[in-house]
Amino acid sequence: FGEDLPEELLEVTTANMAKLIATPHSALVDEPVHIQVTGLAPFQVVCLQASLKDEKGNLFGSKAYYKASETGEVDLERDPSLGGDYTGVHPMGLFWSMKPEKMLSRLAKRDVNIPYQVHIELSKPHFPIKGIVVSPPMDSLTLERWYVAPGVTRIPVKEGRLRGALFLPPGEGPFPGIVDLFGSTGGLIEFRASLLASHGFAALALAYWGYDDLPSHLEKVDLEYFEEGAEFLLRHPKVLGPGVGVVSVCKGAEIGLSMAINLKQIKATVLINGPNFVTTDPHVYRGQVNHPVPCNIEFTLTNAFGLAEFYRTYEETADKDSKYCFPIEKAQGHFLFVVGEDDKNLNSKVHAHQATAQLMKSGKKNWTLLSYPGAGHLIEPPYSPLCSASRIPFVIPSIYWGGEAVQHAAAQEHAWKEIQKFLREHLLPDVSSQL
Amino acid sequence: MSPVVESSSDEAPLGPLTSLPMIQLIVSPSNALVDEPVSIRATGLPPLQIVTIKATLKDEKENLFQSRAFYKSNEAGEVDLERAAALGGDYVGVHSMGLFWSLKPKRPFQRLMKKEVMNSPFCITLDLYDSVCLQDSATTRPKASQIVQRWFVGPGVQRKQIREGRIRGALFLPPGEGPFPGIIDLFGIIGGLIEFRASLLASHGFAVLALAYFAYEDLPDKLLETDLEYFEEAADFLLAHPKIQQPGIGVISVCKGAEIGLAMACYLKQVVATVCINGPNAIVGFPLRYRDLVVPPSQWILEHIQVHASGAVQLRPFIDDPMNRLTPQSILPVEKARGWILFIVGENDECLDSKAYAQGAMNQLQSHGRSNGRMLAYPGAGHLIEPPYSPCCFASWTSDSANPLLWGGDSIAHAAAQEHSWREIQKFFRQHLSASRSKL
Repeated sequence: FGEDLPEELLEVTTANMAKLIATPHSALVDEPVHIQVTGLAPFQVVCLQASLKDEKGNLFGSKAYYKASETGEVDLERDPSLGGDYTGVHPMGLFWSMKPEKMLSRLAKRDVNIPYQVHIELSKPHFPIKGIVVSPPMDSLTLERWYVAPGVTRIPVKEGRLRGALFLPPGEGPFPGIVDLFGSTGGLIEFRASLLASHGFAALALAYWGYDDLPSHLEKVDLEYFEEGAEFLLRHPKVLGPGVGVVSVCKGAEIGLSMAINLKQIKATVLINGPNFVTTDPHVYRGQVNHPVPCNIEFTLTNAFGLAEFYRTYEETADKDSKYCFPIEKAQGHFLFVVGEDDKNLNSKVHAHQATAQLMKSGKKNWTLLSYPGAGHLIEPPYSPLCSASRIPFVIPSIYWGGEAVQHAAAQEHAWKEIQKFLREHLLPDVSSQL
Repeated sequence: MSPVVESSSDEAPLGPLTSLPMIQLIVSPSNALVDEPVSIRATGLPPLQIVTIKATLKDEKENLFQSRAFYKSNEAGEVDLERAAALGGDYVGVHSMGLFWSLKPKRPFQRLMKKEVMNSPFCITLDLYDSVCLQDSATTRPKASQIVQRWFVGPGVQRKQIREGRIRGALFLPPGEGPFPGIIDLFGIIGGLIEFRASLLASHGFAVLALAYFAYEDLPDKLLETDLEYFEEAADFLLAHPKIQQPGIGVISVCKGAEIGLAMACYLKQVVATVCINGPNAIVGFPLRYRDLVVPPSQWILEHIQVHASGAVQLRPFIDDPMNRLTPQSILPVEKARGWILFIVGENDECLDSKAYAQGAMNQLQSHGRSNGRMLAYPGAGHLIEPPYSPCCFASWTSDSANPLLWGGDSIAHAAAQEHSWREIQKFFRQHLSASRSKL
């Protein structure tokens, strides 16, 4: 019908035909979004960009180039990206490939009650050359990405020594209880606990240093503090007993493993990229002290960008000899090991294999090991951007965490489902255990 | 050996502990060309002590570059970098020059490049600490320090600013009467005039014209086309110089410069030996003109550009055969070259698929029954293959790009490639530019 229309009208029609569609507009961060484009010229190459500003005003962004079909459409569930921050068919690629404008920034939500606004833009491709005149976007929209589902309540926790936040799913419950522990950044990190609560768990995000009136430096790991946390959960009317689970990463996983061995309240422990021995600070429990394993800091490597890789520093000690390692065979509950094989901060694969070998030697079958090639240290909920390098308090130089973006994203998606399955299997009463 | 200190409350304390040897850092030579190796030894240490050796350099703009490595002293309390293996830090293993080629900028994406080559060297401070020092600290002082001077020009080399006709550049002449083999030195898309390689080659007996072709003095600001007659003028200028050997000159070229260098080899009879480092075997981006001939360019495919985890842009397209993407008319007719061609290729070049392009040119020569081409391909080496001991620059800002560009290269392999290729390049020019060179 094009030839019959007057020229001015033709131009207007063509300009308005490109349309960007994304559903759902508002969802949990771990829910996928379906992005499509219609109204393009056949085989037209376009650029899709995603961007967000974090709570500190840091900009994160990604871009990908797609070629429209014969009918002028792009469907991210079907079409491959040709270039940009990722290539291939990755419907959520624009989310997990986002990179910070300021190097070493890590995307970590602090206030989980406010969503991220993710801006998606459709535009004509242009070379990344300075001063180039960029045409305005053809279409754009904004998505809301939430860390809490509707009805989830957040309760600040300040009982006894405990400092943290308890997230409860909507409804009467009772719900399986989880203690959520992060690692060497300190402070209180809530986003994983709030997401777990959005999936039916009563999750206690527990801080242990660098927060409120807790010690500003971690000098020792007092397991009685963490036992208080488990007891606090079990006392709560909306928490299902008789035991609780632990979800933990990095140093949090070192503590999680120590908890699982010493505390009878722990029934199911998720250990993400953690050591199976005491690293920097002694663990104490009822008078018993477990001292840090000696490490060879001279085995630290520096990568092409001057970022530190620490994974070799226990090569001569804990990696070699299990006498340095936790007696994991003494633990009563179940374990899920989540390992990023490209972890450059800790030798996670070696630590997890050593721990499971110890279990096998004792005839125990209470574990599952998920090992992900190409995944790095910071395995987080699905679609989180890969943070391969950042700073942590009191450590210089900046740290390289490892991970290759595509494989890391796949690991995050798979692991999150497995973590929830594992927790339900071992914390809900009517699921028969196979072990 | 550990110091023995004896004291009791009744006796005066001992004087200076003469039994303790002084911790020393011995560096030799302390004053040399950048492409000469340096021997570094630490002595007087306790036996089996872990130490840190750190190198620091400030470039002409005061940008800081640093490297460090951790070593364990032997039973005699010594560390000899020619024998000892680094345990960690910026490199691992036995690499006597590792502190030099693993220098990294404090601010990411900066590239170390000497601008003024005649009157000042790079000064590198080497510090020895008797413990593991992961980072600088105000409270930890080095036990010994040395400063080395690294020059880009040897004694007696002269530099002359060139403004002849359209030609803009700098001519470096070795000391003596000559005549010397003449070489034109071309860099790539950064533009301007880059002299450090030309001055180094002159220090090894070649007469080298560092030739600018855009973004310098009254040359065009931007490269919109390549006018081969400009480069022919430069070749003729060199050959007309009384201190330059007849009847032909060489070209050393990298990246976009290597595209031009290869075109010179194809079309200009004055060029008898050409070194192409990590360049395409076709005209790319902008057309080439030579007299009546216009060679149309192959186009960059924008949507194949990828972004590395660091945010640097990877221009090398990840497609199976980049040769298939070249417009046939843009491919340079290497079979027409009368002189010798040496292709130097970094297999981890993230800017171009250099190996595919060099292999394409070699195949073309072979299919025309020509044997005047040779390729040196270095696994692990990146795009910026420079003289030995230059830091491997993995990614850096360029004047035009909004993002840093990824060059690639695994530092140990890249360092080895730089050492090997530099020797081969000089051998190649001596062989094919000497007065009594072999005829094709």
